[in-house]
Amino acid sequence: MTLTLIGVNHRTAPVELRERLSIAKGSEADVLRPLASNGGIRGTAVISTCNRVEIIVSSEADNIIEPVVELLAERADRDPEQIEKHLYVLRHRDAIRHMFRVASGLDSMIIGEPQIGGQVRDSYQIAKNLDTLDSTLYALYEQTLHVAKRVRTETGIGEHAVSIPFAAVELAKKIFGELKGLRALLVGAGEMGELTAEHLKGNGLESIVVANRAYDKAVELAGRFGGEAAQFDSVATQLEKADIVIVSTSAPNYTVTAEQVRQAMDSRRRGDIFLIDLSVPRNIDPAISEIEGAYLYNIDDLSEVAEANKAKRLEKAAQADRIIEKEVDAFLKRLATQDAVPTIVELQRRLDEIRQAELEKCLRKMGPVTAEQRQAIEALTTGIINKVAHYPIIRLRESASAPNEGETIRETIRKIFGLR
Amino acid sequence: MVSPNLSLYLTIAIYAVAAGLVFLSLLTRREQLQRLATTLIVIGFVGHTIWIGTICSTTHHPPLTNLPEAASFIAWVLIVVELALLFRYKVQAAAFFVYPLVVILLATAAIVSEPFSPPNPDQTSKIFIGHLLLTMVGVSALLIGLAFGALYQMQDRAMKAKRRGALYEWIPNLRVLDLVSYRAMVAGFAIYSAGIMAGVLFAYNRHGALTTFGAKEGGALVAWVAFAAILQSHLSGTFRTRKTAGLALLAFLAIVVSIFGISRG
Repeated sequence: MTLTLIGVNHRTAPVELRERLSIAKGSEADVLRPLASNGGIRGTAVISTCNRVEIIVSSEADNIIEPVVELLAERADRDPEQIEKHLYVLRHRDAIRHMFRVASGLDSMIIGEPQIGGQVRDSYQIAKNLDTLDSTLYALYEQTLHVAKRVRTETGIGEHAVSIPFAAVELAKKIFGELKGLRALLVGAGEMGELTAEHLKGNGLESIVVANRAYDKAVELAGRFGGEAAQFDSVATQLEKADIVIVSTSAPNYTVTAEQVRQAMDSRRRGDIFLIDLSVPRNIDPAISEIEGAYLYNIDDLSEVAEANKAKRLEKAAQADRIIEKEVDAFLKRLATQDAVPTIVELQRRLDEIRQAELEKCLRKMGPVTAEQRQAIEALTTGIINKVAHYPIIRLRESASAPNEGETIRETIRKIFGLR
Repeated sequence: MVSPNLSLYLTIAIYAVAAGLVFLSLLTRREQLQRLATTLIVIGFVGHTIWIGTICSTTHHPPLTNLPEAASFIAWVLIVVELALLFRYKVQAAAFFVYPLVVILLATAAIVSEPFSPPNPDQTSKIFIGHLLLTMVGVSALLIGLAFGALYQMQDRAMKAKRRGALYEWIPNLRVLDLVSYRAMVAGFAIYSAGIMAGVLFAYNRHGALTTFGAKEGGALVAWVAFAAILQSHLSGTFRTRKTAGLALLAFLAIVVSIFGISRG
């Protein structure tokens, strides 16, 4: 059985083509059913996300690329030649490696992103429901999900934030641990500020107070976060109650001064304060860094954290690729052993048929025998065929992991013993 | 007399490998090495407990009466507290301080190789035994508190300077460090104070004086004052300062002097 993966992704095809090829949720059957009904194809599944459309096929024959490309071209409303240059075709080992890498997030635009794992799981579930998987693809999906989990656990590839809002969340957790029970103050209505507040809220932040020059906008934003709105000139008093302060305004001067923070730290009974300045020009006085218990990060600092984390993910990706290479070897061995099983079963059945036929002939010639005698003859003949089958079976199993040799041995044994 | 036996040497070797592994994990950033180090520490702890048991069964008194005994016992309590914190707070980072310290203490016990002190009337006194036990447990808790305090200072500076030191990823959040350091200090200081008071009481009963001023007593007094000042800085919220870091170093050195003073009686 051969595995073939045909597809496009964000590196090989522009978004115009990807959107034409993408398979909407619920319409997977339109692709999988026609392929599954193709005589040469034993099993098929599809992974369709905003960055990739990939069809994986398990087949006896090699000539299954054409029908898959034709189907994709038809869906994209293009000639096959037009889409071929954007397609990649991966065979067996490469296809398996690619599946493992995709599910682990190594082939994603943002290395290590976690959503792809769930998308691969969904594609498995859909193909299972549509009954388009054969045993090889079942095994491949099970192994893919196992490998993705192993990669994430052993390398921690998805642990570090690679965007500015996530970097802010990561730093907040480094200061406070859990964000549960914490209160944030969002000053201004800049897009990045909103996004950061949203991520903090999603990570357990208890409450948000929004202060903005246009009070209506503050009320609207506070409503979105389930928080409270405050007047812009109340920032100094709000600092006393805030654990995290996000400032994102277009003001030309400091909106939060060192003196305000010093006074707030003196009068509050809360511990540390984390200040995030997302404005350019800066809106939080850098001198605040010198105040004990105040941690100030501006947009460049957060970008640096995100960039450093990206580099770290690349390091982890190299570690993940080593794990994947070992897993590919192990899976190929398993598949090859699986390939030898039908020949072993057939060989045993064939030899037993011969034994039964010869035994019947012999017993007819011998005339009546006692039950004990019959049992002894049965045991003798069974012993003989087991001995005859012993070495061929051992060779079949041993050679299973070597693809070419395994195929030759299987073919030879089938010819010698007259198996179908 | 019983010389340091095989279980002590084995324990030192296992702890040393574990300490090496945690430092190697810094270079390779592989968490598996830390897990392996923890497993080794647990195995080493078994050998360590056998060694402590050997001292008790041989001398019929707690392992606290001379330098090798006290060093072994403090190292043993340090491992107990470190493992408890590891399982409670999943904090591995203190291992970078605690494991080498434990290796140094046990190596001291092996190198000094002082004979076990023979039973003497002092060791039958409940106040004396209480003094030794409370002091050693208190010292262990205070050392753990210092280790976490040092981690706090390192992480605080790294976060302020926006630089990631080698330990950045291994060190937990500032709130946990503060909590563990403070609790270990409070508990350690209370136990240590009770231990010192029991010692003073014993000295008064035995010698008719509140104390005999030697290195041990001097070290203990300086350490007590330094720890009191550190605790005060925790309460007043000024524990991030260089002054507190200096006090912590002073407290640590005073404790070392006090431990080494034990062999001088």
